[in-house]
Amino acid sequence: MRIDVQGLTVRYGDTVAIDDMSFSLSGNKIYGLLGRNGAGKTSLMSALAGYRKPSGSVQLDGAPVFENAASMRQVCLVRHSADAADKSDKVSHVLEYGAAWRDTWDNDYALELVDLFRIGLKTKVGELSLGQRSALGVVIGLASRSPLTMLDESHLGMDTPTRYAFYDTLLHDFMAHPRTIVISTHLIEELSSLLEEVLIIDAGRLVLQEEADVLRSRGTEVTGNASDVDEFTAGLTVLGEKSLGRTKAAMVYGALDDGQLVRARQLGLELGPIALQDLFVHLTEPVGGKR
Amino acid sequence: MKIFRHLTTALTTFSALVAGGAFAFVVALTFVVSIFRDVEISAWNVVASQIGPWFLLFIGVYAIHNTLPIAIAHGRTRREFLVAASGFSVVLALVMTVAEWLGFLVEGGIYSLMDWSAGEHGTQYAYFQMYLVWVAVGMLCAAAFDRFGAGGIFVLPVAFAFVVITRVQIPGSGDFPFFRNVPSVLGSGWHVLSVAAFLVALAGTWAIARDMPVRQRSA
Repeated sequence: MRIDVQGLTVRYGDTVAIDDMSFSLSGNKIYGLLGRNGAGKTSLMSALAGYRKPSGSVQLDGAPVFENAASMRQVCLVRHSADAADKSDKVSHVLEYGAAWRDTWDNDYALELVDLFRIGLKTKVGELSLGQRSALGVVIGLASRSPLTMLDESHLGMDTPTRYAFYDTLLHDFMAHPRTIVISTHLIEELSSLLEEVLIIDAGRLVLQEEADVLRSRGTEVTGNASDVDEFTAGLTVLGEKSLGRTKAAMVYGALDDGQLVRARQLGLELGPIALQDLFVHLTEPVGGKR
Repeated sequence: MKIFRHLTTALTTFSALVAGGAFAFVVALTFVVSIFRDVEISAWNVVASQIGPWFLLFIGVYAIHNTLPIAIAHGRTRREFLVAASGFSVVLALVMTVAEWLGFLVEGGIYSLMDWSAGEHGTQYAYFQMYLVWVAVGMLCAAAFDRFGAGGIFVLPVAFAFVVITRVQIPGSGDFPFFRNVPSVLGSGWHVLSVAAFLVALAGTWAIARDMPVRQRSA
């Protein structure tokens, strides 16, 4: 499913959550939507899901989404507290809502996931722990089998085994039923291997949209003798450094040219990929802490 | 149609069960009261004319405040939901009027057997219109407060006027501490006003909820 956003602005009173944002997603990928707290991730997803009337244009496969029945049927947004459920509802009722209202709902899969995440069908949503509510959101999102499925910080409160089960399930389901999945998360490294394309937003603006592999290649970790590393990185943008005895590792932002690669080899330095999370920090918080 | 089916099956069934439970409770309560004093009023009329409308108001609020966002989260539009909710309000009012009628029927039999006095109660049409308006006003108030926050308070005078109109032809509506008996100043025009109140409340709900943001959370 193709997504086209043009001149999108979302305001809450005097606060501008999304500021004239434009981008397109070609679809059928797992996208990572990354941003600091208050960057506008939830507001953006809410506009994509038709939760609010957009100022600007939000189109799915060329059709506006807001109050467009055909487009709305294609979308499912799940935030960490399951939107598609009422706190007083039992989990079984929540699944009944999905089965009753979603044409694409896969109830067998929903029951399988509820079992996997150990959520009691007779438990009321309000009685679930934060991690279980997040897991229920994941159940709703994945079982909806919506062509555009958005998971907003769906890992919140999940313990590590549950998060890993979530990642595995997400990947398996995506492989079996390819569609457009947008995930916002703060646990960038845990999810980075799943992400095919990344959007980074900050202060309501799109900072970067890039294939995840291309983005990773924008930075290099340089490891070696401390003095050699210092010599090599002089004049480059260094995102961070770690030292252990005489050995030092520095994260450098920006592609290295052939001359620099040759010099690194001459100095005996090891060059490796940089963590997506470090790049994210750099892109949303310039060195020095000033934005 | 799916939303309408869900609302009618889930909420109408729930409302009918509550009405049944309330009936059983007031019958038992009437027998307890009869031990201490003569029974001179219809206990079911207190439920039907006082508690019933407030319950329907709550159902109207629940439909908009709780169910509308869930419908949107499941890929339904506001328009689809509001069409379904409008039809649902009529069905619910009808079902509750039937429950009210059945209650009076059974209570009448019990009162005859026990030689108790029930006093008068309104027509089925009067109860139906009252229930219709109250559920619509509940939806209107929920839409106003959900959309405008505290600003929703400005809809309350209108809502109050609408619900008062419906009580003109309901005897005993001053028997509970919410409203005093309203003088019958409207003559036969009350039912026209009731229908108008229902339609205006519904139109107001549509106008407010048609492009209302749901599940708002700051950036």
